[in-house]
Amino acid sequence: MASVSRSDLRRVAARTWLLQATWNYERQQGLGWAWCLAPVLERLYADPGRRQQRLAEHTAFFNTQPTLASLALGAVANLEEQQARAAEPAYDGVARVKMVLGSALAALGDRLLWFTLRPFAACLGVLFALGGSWTGALALWVCYNAVHLTLRARGVAWGYRLGPAVLGQGLRERLERLISLLSEFGAALVGVVVAALLVPGGEPQSLTFQVTLAGGLALGLVAAQHARPSPTHLALGAGGLCLVAAWFR
Amino acid sequence: MNLPLLLTLLLGGLAALDATPVAQTMLAQPLVTGTLLAAIWGDWRVALETAIVLQLLAASTVPIGARTPADYATGGVVGVGTAVALAAGRPFSFTQDACAMLGVMSGLIAALLGSAVLRWQRRLNEGLARWCESRLRAGEPRALGEAHRAAVVLAFALGVGFSAACLGVAIAGLDRFAGGESLRLARAWRLAQPLWLGFGLAQILHLFVQRRLSRVAVFGAALIAAWLVLVVGSP
Repeated sequence: MASVSRSDLRRVAARTWLLQATWNYERQQGLGWAWCLAPVLERLYADPGRRQQRLAEHTAFFNTQPTLASLALGAVANLEEQQARAAEPAYDGVARVKMVLGSALAALGDRLLWFTLRPFAACLGVLFALGGSWTGALALWVCYNAVHLTLRARGVAWGYRLGPAVLGQGLRERLERLISLLSEFGAALVGVVVAALLVPGGEPQSLTFQVTLAGGLALGLVAAQHARPSPTHLALGAGGLCLVAAWFR
Repeated sequence: MNLPLLLTLLLGGLAALDATPVAQTMLAQPLVTGTLLAAIWGDWRVALETAIVLQLLAASTVPIGARTPADYATGGVVGVGTAVALAAGRPFSFTQDACAMLGVMSGLIAALLGSAVLRWQRRLNEGLARWCESRLRAGEPRALGEAHRAAVVLAFALGVGFSAACLGVAIAGLDRFAGGESLRLARAWRLAQPLWLGFGLAQILHLFVQRRLSRVAVFGAALIAAWLVLVVGSP
């Protein structure tokens, strides 16, 4: 019986770039998941009929945070290998583990990547860009991708090595610590950005600027407590009001 | 068609790809696309001022679960693209402020409209997924690769097409307005810019704080310390 090789895992990792290419409301990442896992299934199932059956079953509904999906893909590759060797494979178990891992990784990944790292990288980028420099974009890109691309590149191999236990206490605790650390530094970074806006280069901004910035902060904190209207609608409305105020002043 | 505009549309397509279908490396974030547009158009001040505002507003807009949030990938390209295209050949500071104001407004409108385009694209992908599964069950494993190629081409084409439509309408519709009403628009920018910056930063702060008082204290301490360093100078 063939076993999954390092090059198969590398091919899976490379394919994670297209995990969300066919994202849709019905199956979400389902088709992308099957596309990513295809090299492993090709290796494990010599019989084309069985291979295509497994591939079709992997197109079912699936959704998780796209960066941490690499860990789930590695873990499921490990399970598929075990089932391909088993005399009586239990594919229902693979589907269940896939769903459970998907949900758990989504809960953790959304907090780490979307709610913490992305705004942190954005703040860092803005701080550099306030001086009119191109380095802001570079800082944002490097800061985010140091974590994102590392997890993308190595996640599949980690997941394969640890199997369904990939999200055990060790990794979970490390990621939770990272979230906590980034949140603390992020809060400080927002403070530094506000100070840099108030006194750029040591020269205080006009009183109008300072009062309006404070007004924006207050409005933003109130708006963050409510899901609707969305921040974009509110920002557009605020811009419209500024236009009206400037017109009739 | 001039080269900067062509490159802007190409960037619109690349941003649409990076945002969700391919890689998600944050190339689509307004600050990154804005910086690239600044280099393409050679107007760093207007491009970065517009991009910073859009970036702070975009940072807390997250694509969790099945939500289709405002499309700041296209919004960033359209917003900054509109601002720099309108500012081209307008050297005065207040006319450039007027262009930045119109750029951010165009970017926000494009981000909201782009959300509907994304929903339509995702509906089209549903048909693609059903077709692909039926072909796989019929014994055609190549269908998976073909479906992915089709989805990537569709996303890129929609990104370029939607950016072209938005930029065309914004630049053609606002060019005379930016020139004729630049004083009022510049005044509006002086009000709106700090309001938007504060609004975006508050949304980000809310994500970090998560009702923990210790983090509010960290924010306050960092603000005061940075303010003192900037005003008094570092010790």
